[in-house]
Amino acid sequence: MKDAGGRTTQDTGPLQGPPRRQGRPHAVDVTPPDVTLPDVAPPDVTPPDSTVLRTGTLSWLAPRRGVLAAALLVPLLVVLVALAVLASSTGMSLSRTFSGLLGTADPGTVMIVRDFRLPRIFAGLMVGAALGISGCLTQTLAGNRLATPDLVGVNDGATLAVVASAAGSATGMVGHWWLGPLGAVAAAMLVVLCAGGAGAAGYRVLVVGIGVSTFVGAVSDLVMSRQNDSTAGGVFLWAVGSLNGRDWSVGTPLLIALLFLVPLSLAVGHRLQLLRFDDDVASSLGVDLRVVRAAALALAVALAGIAVGVGGPIAFVALAAPVVAQRLAGPTRVPVIGSALTGAALIAAADALARVVAPVELPVGVVTSVLGGPFLLWVLFRSERTTGKA
Amino acid sequence: MTDATSPAAAAAAAVAAGADDGGRPVTAGAAVTAPATTGASPAPPGLEVRGLHAGYPGRAVVKDVRLTVPAGQVAAIVGPNGCGKSTLLRAVARLHRPDAGTVHAVGADVWGLGRREAAHRIALLPQSPRAPEAVTVAGLVRYGRHPHQGLLRQWSREDERAVREALEATGTAELAGERLDRLSGGQRQRCWLAMVLAQQTPVVLLDEPTSALDLGHAVDVLELVRVVAASGRTVVMVQHDLAAAARYADLVIAMKDGRVVASGTPRDTIDEALVKKLYDVDADILSAPGDASPVVVPRVRRGGGDDEPGAGR
Repeated sequence: MKDAGGRTTQDTGPLQGPPRRQGRPHAVDVTPPDVTLPDVAPPDVTPPDSTVLRTGTLSWLAPRRGVLAAALLVPLLVVLVALAVLASSTGMSLSRTFSGLLGTADPGTVMIVRDFRLPRIFAGLMVGAALGISGCLTQTLAGNRLATPDLVGVNDGATLAVVASAAGSATGMVGHWWLGPLGAVAAAMLVVLCAGGAGAAGYRVLVVGIGVSTFVGAVSDLVMSRQNDSTAGGVFLWAVGSLNGRDWSVGTPLLIALLFLVPLSLAVGHRLQLLRFDDDVASSLGVDLRVVRAAALALAVALAGIAVGVGGPIAFVALAAPVVAQRLAGPTRVPVIGSALTGAALIAAADALARVVAPVELPVGVVTSVLGGPFLLWVLFRSERTTGKA
Repeated sequence: MTDATSPAAAAAAAVAAGADDGGRPVTAGAAVTAPATTGASPAPPGLEVRGLHAGYPGRAVVKDVRLTVPAGQVAAIVGPNGCGKSTLLRAVARLHRPDAGTVHAVGADVWGLGRREAAHRIALLPQSPRAPEAVTVAGLVRYGRHPHQGLLRQWSREDERAVREALEATGTAELAGERLDRLSGGQRQRCWLAMVLAQQTPVVLLDEPTSALDLGHAVDVLELVRVVAASGRTVVMVQHDLAAAARYADLVIAMKDGRVVASGTPRDTIDEALVKKLYDVDADILSAPGDASPVVVPRVRRGGGDDEPGAGR
């Protein structure tokens, strides 16, 4: 069976054009019955799931599913933003919200809508996008859908930096937003150092990361336990992940950072496809996987660090967004854009929910955590089912 | 020559009557387009290695290797396990940085190029490559175009043509939509070869391309290697099977303990003394009917018991 199959394809090959087979006339006779036309066009080798766009020497492959998913996600995002603007924990009416948005309401309403809600929503969108891309890179890097940037110590590092700043300051307030990313990067560097380099193996970095995270988390707890209740309360609110009171002062640097990091992530994502091969094949195809792994890890840490600095360690988005995006885009791609859109949508939805679902406003991290548990179970059960099938 | 109806008969036929003219096996496959390196006499050799030393800290594995493979020829590197064959191949393919020496592929210094540029000139098929999960044959072959692609050049007409030609040349065109992991070993190996061909490099390196295949599929792959070389590419393969090396290579390079101990055409190179030196095996060298290519038949060792003949390789 196996041999016959191999030999048949070698020797008949109607698609190779019978004229070239003059030396072996019998080969023409064994045309497989399923091929009716001997002069069929050569096989279509363009990725079957993509549409080719070409102009001049430039060419792109637009994955149809991915484009469709984006085409659905963008309107969804618009709707979510609209809902989030309207969502109110104080019972502001629709018409008042609209006039506040347009600037025709009383100054207080205008301020609430334009200066409190809008910047917070956009900061949330960017945080979600950053977490989504970061999770996408980490999961691709680890080859595991449960891998998230917090496994390399991002969340615990950021938390420790924030806790330390609050404990060190006289007022007990949470310090500048950039302390979070700083702590995140420091923790990630510690992890990479302990793992003996980022390029070697994504998996080892993650295992070391779990150990380092636990240790750093313990230090945070120790510092927290020495603080009075009000400091601890403020830090706690940050540490579950909250977008409360985020304005343009954090939104603008976040936007600038994303403008740099997203294109880089796209380029790395393109190369990360070769991670599915072993190092030798990838290298023979012109890609140094060690460099690509290190770059992907650095980008993931930077993106997650900035997101955590702005929104606190919001759970579950970095885990869920890439998984959802992968489901939407199909299995063969690294869904950088899809993860960004999904992450943004998740945060926008969770933050809107957080402001209306309970009598008091919930931190967004609580909402995502509550949603995250069932989602995680779904991922686990799904992967069991699919591996069972294959 | 090969008979499509019976695999066993086909294999036997291919081996027995593989060569009619000039000692080369007959190859009746599709033409493969390769970067133009044929013809013109002043053209640089396909592959030129000079004074190459390579190894690992504290252990030299490849010592002062010098070899030249003309464009359009097939060279087979033979030698016992651990003689440095694979390390040599990795150093040539830009996977393992040599301690000294140079590697030139059609005139360009491989280690002076960037990794991507080098991937335009040299392609390597490792011994047992790992494929992406659930990849299709066409999907795998498309990866061969990666060195030619970028964010702004994701799928050019040239990519399309190269993939199509590689599929057709390897006879895998009708498998294009199949999943690689559902194919037989022989078919898979041809698909991997298609990927390497799609890279359109003038130099192709193969690390034991037939070691996991039965005779029929091994012959398929080796025939294909001849087709590739006939198109002007230079092929260097590590080969354990001396018979296959003798039959299909223009040039045999014998290595022992990291050094090249003999090189030349199979007929001039493979003799009793060489087999003894390489493998410490006493063997009779017969002359194959047809092309007189050397056939190595190990002698039964005295007192060696019952299962000896195949042990010597």
